[in-house]
Amino acid sequence: MRRDDVPPYIVDLALKRGASDVVAELHDEQRFMIRFSNNEVTIFKSYDESLVSIFLMIKRHRAATTVPLSSTSNLEKTIEDLVKIAKVTPPAELYAPLPEGPFSYDPKLLRAPRISLHPERLIGYVEEAINGALEEGARKTAGTLIATRGKTIIATSGNVHASQERSSLEISVRAFTSDVSSGHFVSISRDEEKFDPSEAGRTAGRIAKASLNPRSGNPGRFTALLGPLVFADLISQVGMVSSAFLVDTGRSFLADKIGSEVACSELTLIDDPTVADAYGARAFDDEGVPTRRNIIIERGILRSYLHNSATAKKFGVETTGNAGLISPHPWNLIVEPGEKSFEEILSEIDRGIYVTNDWYLRYQNYRTGDFSTIPRDGMFLVRNGTLSSSIRELRISDNMLRILKNIKEISRTRTWVKWWEVDIPTLAPYVVVEDLNFTKSTM
Amino acid sequence: MNQAKKGRKFVLEELTEFAVNYAESLGAEYAEARFQRDIQESIILKNGIPEAVIIEENRGISIRVLVNGSLGFASTNNLRKRDVKDSSIKAYKMARAATKILHKKVSMDESNLGAARVEVKPRIDFDSIDIDSKAELLKEAYRQAADTAANKKVKIPGCILTLDTWKTEKLVMTSDGADVHSITPRAAIFTLITMFHPQRGTVQRSFDLGGTGGWEIVEKWNLPELFKKEAQTLSEILLYAEESPSGKVDMVLGPELVGLICHESSGHPSEADRILGREAAQAGETYLKADSIGLRVGSSLVNVVDDPTLEGSFGFYRYDEEGVEARKRVLIKEGVINEFLHNRETASVFRIESNGSSRAVAFNREPIVRMANTYLEPGDYSKEELIEGIKEGIYIKSFMEWNIDDRRFNQRYVGLEAYKIEKGELKERVRNPVLEVTTTGLWSSVDAVGKDLEFQAAYCGKGDPMQGIPVWTGGPHVRLRNVTLGGQYYA
Repeated sequence: MRRDDVPPYIVDLALKRGASDVVAELHDEQRFMIRFSNNEVTIFKSYDESLVSIFLMIKRHRAATTVPLSSTSNLEKTIEDLVKIAKVTPPAELYAPLPEGPFSYDPKLLRAPRISLHPERLIGYVEEAINGALEEGARKTAGTLIATRGKTIIATSGNVHASQERSSLEISVRAFTSDVSSGHFVSISRDEEKFDPSEAGRTAGRIAKASLNPRSGNPGRFTALLGPLVFADLISQVGMVSSAFLVDTGRSFLADKIGSEVACSELTLIDDPTVADAYGARAFDDEGVPTRRNIIIERGILRSYLHNSATAKKFGVETTGNAGLISPHPWNLIVEPGEKSFEEILSEIDRGIYVTNDWYLRYQNYRTGDFSTIPRDGMFLVRNGTLSSSIRELRISDNMLRILKNIKEISRTRTWVKWWEVDIPTLAPYVVVEDLNFTKSTM
Repeated sequence: MNQAKKGRKFVLEELTEFAVNYAESLGAEYAEARFQRDIQESIILKNGIPEAVIIEENRGISIRVLVNGSLGFASTNNLRKRDVKDSSIKAYKMARAATKILHKKVSMDESNLGAARVEVKPRIDFDSIDIDSKAELLKEAYRQAADTAANKKVKIPGCILTLDTWKTEKLVMTSDGADVHSITPRAAIFTLITMFHPQRGTVQRSFDLGGTGGWEIVEKWNLPELFKKEAQTLSEILLYAEESPSGKVDMVLGPELVGLICHESSGHPSEADRILGREAAQAGETYLKADSIGLRVGSSLVNVVDDPTLEGSFGFYRYDEEGVEARKRVLIKEGVINEFLHNRETASVFRIESNGSSRAVAFNREPIVRMANTYLEPGDYSKEELIEGIKEGIYIKSFMEWNIDDRRFNQRYVGLEAYKIEKGELKERVRNPVLEVTTTGLWSSVDAVGKDLEFQAAYCGKGDPMQGIPVWTGGPHVRLRNVTLGGQYYA
C-alpha cells in the first residue's frame, strides 16, 4: 500500500467496524542529534521511525493508539482491537464529532525547506558553535544539535486527507569559563539560511566570560531584567496552561479569567503556527483543522484558551486548531515586541538583577501560579544602567500572574527559543519585571 | 511458550545479533544492540469521568558502536533486516564522522557481562482485568475523594487520574559477550487533585504510585481508601493550615520528602557522567568532583544507597542496558561520599568496573547513567521518638514544589502536609513551610534517623532527548537540628 493511502484505509476500515469518528496519522521522521561536552562530541545519534496513530470514537466512547507502521494485516488487527476497546471503554463527558472538511491549507505550510542531514555537515555546525564560544573566551562547551526531517499524512472521517512536511535545525550551547561561570544560548530554524550555530556559541561564550568570579547574591525583591531564555520559559508556561484541557483539570492559573486582566497592558501573546518560515510552522492540527493565529493575551487581557473540538464543545466555542486529541497545546508562541532595545532597557535600570537563563520550574499550585525556578548561567547585578558584577545562588520564587502584571518593559529585540527546558518554540523578548522575589538557600 | 512466540523470539534474537555482528564487520571496536518493546495501556480519568483509553506499542532496535573511540547510536522501528543493516551502517558512519571533534577516546570497562533471562511474572495479568473494571476502580477512587471533600464543604474543581500498565521486553547483546533477555511488567498511577473552598482558596496535591509486577500491585494500593485519606488530609490543609513560622527550627521530615532529597541531592550528584561534564548543557553538572570519594557531606547517620535489585520496586532490574549485573550501590556511607553511579564508559575513565547503572527508557534512547531506587537507610528511632526530641519545630510530611540547582547543591522543598511541633507533640497544621538549604547543610543537620523505611514512585528526568525513567525514592523519617525555615511563600 502507498504511504499516502494508509491513513484513509485506516479510517475506512474503522468506520466499517463501527467507529463514529476516526483520525489516522502516519508519521515518518528522520532525526539526527549530536551531543557534545568538554569541547568534543560525546555521541552522534539518529532516529528513524514510522509510526501510525489512530484515534477513534464510538460517540462518547474514545480510544487511541500509536503503533509502528507494519503490515496491512497487523494494521487491520490493530483497528479491530481498538474498536473493541472503544466499545468497552466507559463513556466520556461529551461527544464532539470531528470537524467536517474538506479544508484548504496554506501550501507554504504544507512544504518544508530542504535541509541537509549529512553527518559531515551536522558535525560542521557543532564545530562552528564550539569555536564561536571558545573565541569569545569560553574554556569548555557543551550542548546539543538536532536536525529533523519528517512528514505527517492525516486522514479523518471528517473528509480530511492531507500531508505536511517538517524540517528543523536547533542547537543549544552552554559555555563555561569556570565551574560556576557559564552562559547559554540557542539558535533554532526551519531552514539552513537562518540557522546560526556560531552566533549561539558566541553569545553563550560572551555571557560565560562576563559571569566570571561570581559572588553569592542576596535574596530580596528586585527589579529584574529577564533574558529571552528566561522569559521564553515563563511565557511558554502561560502558553501551555492556556490549553482548555489543563484549565478543565485544575492545572491552569488562567482558569476563570477570560476577559480579565492577567498581565501588564503592554503584553500580547499569540500562538501563530501560520508564520511559514517559523520553527513551529504547521498547516493543520491533529484533527485536520487548519491552524490559525490565536491571540491568547491581548494587551494584558486574556482573550482565548486553546481548543480542540472536544474542549471547544465543552466551553461553548469553536476549535482554535490546536488539537492534541486529548489536550490542546500551542504550536508556535510569539510575544509582540516593545519599542526599546536591550541596551536602552538596561540603561534605565538603577538597581536590579539581570538573569540570562533558568531551569527546573516547579509549581506549588498550578491553579494559583505559585512557583519557583532557578537562575543558571550568567546572572548579574545591574547598577546605574550597567552590569556591575556577576552573582549566583539565587532562586526566583514568585507567582506567574504577579510576574505578568509586574512587567514594565518589553524589548523590541526578540529571539526564537527552544531547548531542553523550553518545549514550545517561542519568540521571546527581554523583559523588565518589577519587584521580583529572589530567595536563597541557607546553611 | 507456544510455537509462534518461540519463533518471534528467535527472529528478534537473530536480528539483534545480526546488528552487533554487522557493526563489528564494518570495523566497530565495540557494538551493542538492544531490541526493546514497550506495550502500554493508559486509562485517563478527567474530573471523575473516563476521557479515553490509550494503547501504545513502542518497539524497535538500537545499535550503539565505538569507532576509533567515538560513539555512534542509531535506532529504527523498521525491523526488516535491511533496515537494521542500514542502522548499523549509520551508527558506524556517524561515529566515524564524530572523530573529527574528539579529544579523549571513549572505551568500555572490563566488567563481567551477563548471559541471562530475567522475567518478572505477574501474579495477576493486566489483561485478565477488563477495561471497565479498571475504569470503575479509578471512578470509585475519585468518588471517595469527592464525597470526603463534600463532607467538609470542599469542592474538587479539577482532578486528573491516570492508570498506566505496561510490559517491557528487552534483548541486549554486545560484541564482548553480553546476552540478556528481560521481561518486566509495571503499573503506575499519576494524579493531580485540586481542592477549593470559597474562603480558603485552593490547594493541590500530585503524586505517583508505581511498582513492578501485575495487577496485584494495583490491588495492594487500595486506591479508594487512599484517595479518601488524601482528600481528608487536603481538605484539612485547605481549611485549617495556618501560616508557617520562620527562622531557625528543628525539623522532622517524612519518608516522601526524605526520598526526594536522597534522589536530588545524593543520587544525581553521584552520577559519574555528570561528574565528567557529559550532561552539562542539560541536567547540568555536580558539586562533586572525580576525587570526591571520601569527602564528608553529612552527619555520620547518613547512609544513602541506590539499589535496582529491590523486588517489586518501580526501578527494578537485574541487568543494565550494557549487560552488567545490577547491585546495591552505597552512595553515602556514614556521611561520606562512598561510590558514584557508573556505566561502562564512565567506569573505564575512573579505571574501575561498572556498577550496573546504565539505563534507557525506550529502544530509541541511548543508555546513560541513571538511578534506580535511591533511599536513606533506616536507623533506630520511631517517628514518635523523633518528634518527642523537639521542643519547638516543624514536621513536613509531604511536598508539592521542589527544585535544585544544576550542581545539585542549592535546593528548595515546599511542604504540603505539615505541622508545628511543640514540646515533643504534633500541633496545628501549617501551610507551605519552605526548606531552602544546601546539600551539605541539610545532610550535616541530620541528628536522628527513623526505622520506618517507605518508598514512593517517580519518573526521573535526564538525557537528551529526555528520558523519564521509573524510580523509587525512599527513606524513613529523619530529624534535622537547627535548620532555617523560609517561612512565607512569597510576601
